[in-house]
Order: sequence, then C-alpha cells, then structure tokens
Amino acid sequence: MTSATLLCRESPARAPATGPFALPPELAASAPAEARGLRRDEVRMMVARGVLVDAPCRAIEHRRFGELPRVLGPGDLLVVNTSATLPASLDARGPGPAGRESEELRLHVSTALPMADLWSVELRLPAGPASRPYGGGEPGWRLTLAGGAAAELLAPLAGSRRLWVARIELPPGASLAEHLAAHGQPIRYPYVSDAWPIEAYQTVFADEPGSAEMPSAGRAFTADVVARLVARGVEIAPVTLHTGVSSLEAGESPYAEWFRVPFDTARRVNSVRRSGGRVIAVGTTVVRSLESAADRTGDVHPAEGWTSLLVTPQRGVRAVDGLLTGWHEPQSTHLAMLEAVGGAELVQRSYREALEQRYLWHEFGDLHLILPRAAAGGAGELER
Amino acid sequence: MPVGIVTGASKGLGRELARSLADDGWSLVIDARGAEALEEARSDLAARAGGAAVVAVQGDVASADHRVALVEAASTLASTLGGLDLLVNNASELGPSPLPALADHPLDELERVYRVNVLAPLALAQLALPLLRARRGRIVNVSSDAAVEAYEGWGGYGSSKAALEQLTAVMAAEERDVRVYAVDPGDMRTAMHQAAFPGEDISDRKPPEAAVPGLRRLIDGDEPSGRYRADDLAPVEATP
Repeated sequence: MTSATLLCRESPARAPATGPFALPPELAASAPAEARGLRRDEVRMMVARGVLVDAPCRAIEHRRFGELPRVLGPGDLLVVNTSATLPASLDARGPGPAGRESEELRLHVSTALPMADLWSVELRLPAGPASRPYGGGEPGWRLTLAGGAAAELLAPLAGSRRLWVARIELPPGASLAEHLAAHGQPIRYPYVSDAWPIEAYQTVFADEPGSAEMPSAGRAFTADVVARLVARGVEIAPVTLHTGVSSLEAGESPYAEWFRVPFDTARRVNSVRRSGGRVIAVGTTVVRSLESAADRTGDVHPAEGWTSLLVTPQRGVRAVDGLLTGWHEPQSTHLAMLEAVGGAELVQRSYREALEQRYLWHEFGDLHLILPRAAAGGAGELER
Repeated sequence: MPVGIVTGASKGLGRELARSLADDGWSLVIDARGAEALEEARSDLAARAGGAAVVAVQGDVASADHRVALVEAASTLASTLGGLDLLVNNASELGPSPLPALADHPLDELERVYRVNVLAPLALAQLALPLLRARRGRIVNVSSDAAVEAYEGWGGYGSSKAALEQLTAVMAAEERDVRVYAVDPGDMRTAMHQAAFPGEDISDRKPPEAAVPGLRRLIDGDEPSGRYRADDLAPVEATP
C-alpha cells in the first residue's frame, strides 16, 4: 500500500515558489469520505519530509491517514483546532440592482469583528446545494433573512472585493449561533455534489462553535486514530481559531480571525521544543494561532484575540515544525504558509506529485503531512 | 465526548463496566497488569458501537510511574475530545489465596494489598482531581461488603476496603465539585472471587455484568456522594 519516492536534487534553494497550476475539476472532492464508501481516516495522506536536515534529499510517501500513528512517535506534539463549524449560510433576499425585482441570495456569515457587534459577511448566489460568487451589493442594502432576521450592509470590508461589514438584526432574545443552528446550512462551494449535513462539517475535536467553515485538516481524525496516537506517546493539545469564509480570490490577503492558545497548550509547545521534539500543526488555522502567540525566540505564550498574521516564507515560522493540511487552491495565500513550514522545494514537489497521483482537493479531500525535519529520537523515520 | 479512566479493565467487573461505557460513546483509558488480556480488552472495546477512543496502558496501579502514564493519557484525550469526567478505581488486590486469618497474614502481602487497594486509588484521585473538578466529574471506588462485615479470612482485604471507604467519605466532604462514591458491587462470579474460594463452586454468584446498571446510575445519575450497594441502586435477580 505504502510507496515511497526518494528525491535528490542538486540545488533545491533555487527552486521557484509554488507557481500557478491548473487543478483538474475531477480532483475536487465532491463528497465526504463516508459518502465515498471510506472511513474518515481512510483518505489518502502524502507524507513529505526532509530525510536529512540540510540535505537536498526529500522523500514523498503515499499513505492512508489512519497510518499517522506509525509516522509519528514520542516527542511529537499535534496541535488541533477545537472550533466547531456553524451552519453559516442563510437564505437572504436582497433589493437587487436598481430598478429590478428583489433577488434570492445567500448570506455567508464569516467572522465577528473586533470590539463591535458587527460581522463580516459575503453575499453569494444560490447554486443547487452550494453557492457561487455574486458581484453585487451596495452600502445601505437591507437583506431579509430567514426566521425574521435582517442584515444591513454597512461598508465593504477593508482589503476585500466581496466581503462586507454588516449589522445583523435578530429576533429578540436570539443569539446568532442559535439563529444559524435553526435556519442556516453549511457553507458549500460549487464542487460539492450534494447538500451534505452540518455533521459532515464537524471534526472529532469540535467543541466551541464559531467557524464559518470547517477546520478541515482535522476531519480525518477518528476516536480510534486519537487513541492510537496517545498509545504511541504522541501528544495532542488544543487551540481554538474560528475560521472565516475561504472564498478569497487570488491576491486577497486573509482577514483577521479570532483565536485562543490556552496556557497548557503554550506550556506543552514550549516543553516539546526545548526537548527537541516537533510541534506539528493540524491545519493552517493552527499555524496562524501558534505563530500569532509566539515571540521572536519561538516561545509560545497563552494568547487570545484577533490575528491578522500572514505567514510567508519571508516571515518564516518560529514555533511550528510540521504541518498536516489539505490540498489548497493554486495561488492561495495558504501555499505561502506551506512553503514557510516546508520550504518551497518540498511543497512544490508535493503538489506536482499530488496532481500526478490524483490526490483530492478541498475540505472532503486528501491530506498532506509536511515534516521538514526528522524527530529528535528518530521516531517516524522513513521505513525502508 | 466523555472521557473516563477504568483501572483493572481486562476482566470481571472492570471489563463489563468499560464495555457498557464504550457502547455509550465514552472514550476510555484502561489498564491491567497482563499485556495480552489488556490488548484483547482494548480491541474489543475499540470495536464497540460507541465509536470510542480506547487507550490501553499496561502496568500495575501500585507503580507511581504507571499512574502518571494513565492520567497523562487521559489528559491528552480529555484536552482534545472533551474533558475527564470519571475515574473508576476498580483494580484490586485480594491477598493470599486461600485467604489467611489475620493471625497468620503475611505482612508483606498485606502491604501489597494496601498499596493497591488504598494508596493507588488515592494517588490516582490526587492526579486526576484537577481535571475532574473542571468537569464536575466523579470518582467511583469499587469496594466490598467485606469493608463493613467481619468475615473470617477477609481481614486483610476487608480492612483495606474499609480504609478506601473512609478515604471516599472524607474526600467527598472535601471536594465541592467532584462526586466521590464507594460502591459494593456484591458477590460476583469473577476470577478474584474464585481466588477467595479456591476449589469451591461459585456459580451461584451473579455474573459481573449484573452490577453494571448500579454503577452506571452513579456515573450517569444524580446520586449524592457516599457509599452504595449496586443491588440497591439497580436491583438485579441473580441468574441461576
């Protein structure tokens, strides 16, 4: 089942950044693993690692996610996001362009804005179970929402072409989370084939509702995988980051998101780093959280608040040694983060190989484990 | 997803209780001294309907390192899957078989009985209490009617369980946010009970699963801290 390729190159340093690539539409996962006859932990996982520190050899292995406990070992700390997904997409009726009938829209509630009872939202057009981009919207538009609620567009969100700052008016006594639970559905993009229920968008770690979209790198974890990781001596620690909508266009910078790194997680990250172990982020949201809470020396401090941090190869990573993540859109800002963790060459090779090996993209797709350096104790060395 | 620790879960009452919890979706950290029986229990529990995470840690509750490993595993599960809700101190040491009179009880063996039945449950409670307090969790200490009755030969084991019950009562008075129970499961057809009556037919005793509904009432219900008999909580007819 497991195949491995050992790749040695003369000058990895000169490799260009992960450039534009075309994603064939059939490589977008349209259905969750369960609907494809697999367990969640049976999705594929590419393990991409640097075999020797500072050597130009890179190894790519193709595995199933359920093999993760054999890839990691004592000394490794997985940090997971415990944010639960909200059914953040609401039916909305907008006034429509001047002089026309009102039109059916969808309102995607993205993130709460700091220090104001305001939300960033995205207007979309309904498209079957999903939605597609919508170019309209004017400041002052009032949208009628399901369940007697309303939203008023105040202004475009700074730096965004499609997101708005909005005030959401709810029936008396209702909270937004309750309103969404009663009237919302999961945010879905056109590559999904069906109206998958909100349960398909929750991870086993989901604890605190607040994400517009699933922190999907954690989706493949099952209770059984967690138990086998713990039995293997792999540590697991939580952070929370409530994700906003991911529908950014190329060139848009990610906006601020709320996150929390608990005291005990900060302590464990620091202890693992001091003892030479690896801190492996489960998802780009965890990289953003930990790096936002890290000082210049890489020590992580308990932290809570909004972060606008953009992790790029120039900025680098201070606290994170590895990353488990899904497969990202061409030219997304996430690719810069991946290169910050794994280096441009390893990430670029991974993507080339993923296209060749027909990995599946997006939240229901396959996974990518980037481990640029070996564990201190030699745990998880490439099995030959 | 609730998380619990059950000691001595490879056979008897511990195994049956763990099965019932796993069926209801509890994630569990279990232990036992024998690696083979423990792995057998783990794979059985992990395959049950609740889809629970089951971590097996092989070892002896009398060992401090083993106890730390148990609570660390539970802490990792709890920090990502919910929180620690339950500690069941079920692992017990009977002492010599056949049971000696107190006049002849070897003191080194009595020391072992006390280490396993008194000090280990207290030590595990000490380690787990910070996690249990945060979840308003529960501690269930498995005791015996030998803690309160004067049966010949049961002086070593019985006095250890009497000490465990007094620890339970005092801890219950001290802990505001954690319920602390001692429970007498009644006589059961278990390997330990057979060791107390070597060569005798104990088939008239009820099977260990008969005590599970009573324990579940302490775990799931609203009973105040204290000492209970499983039969009083959920009366069950002994099977012939």
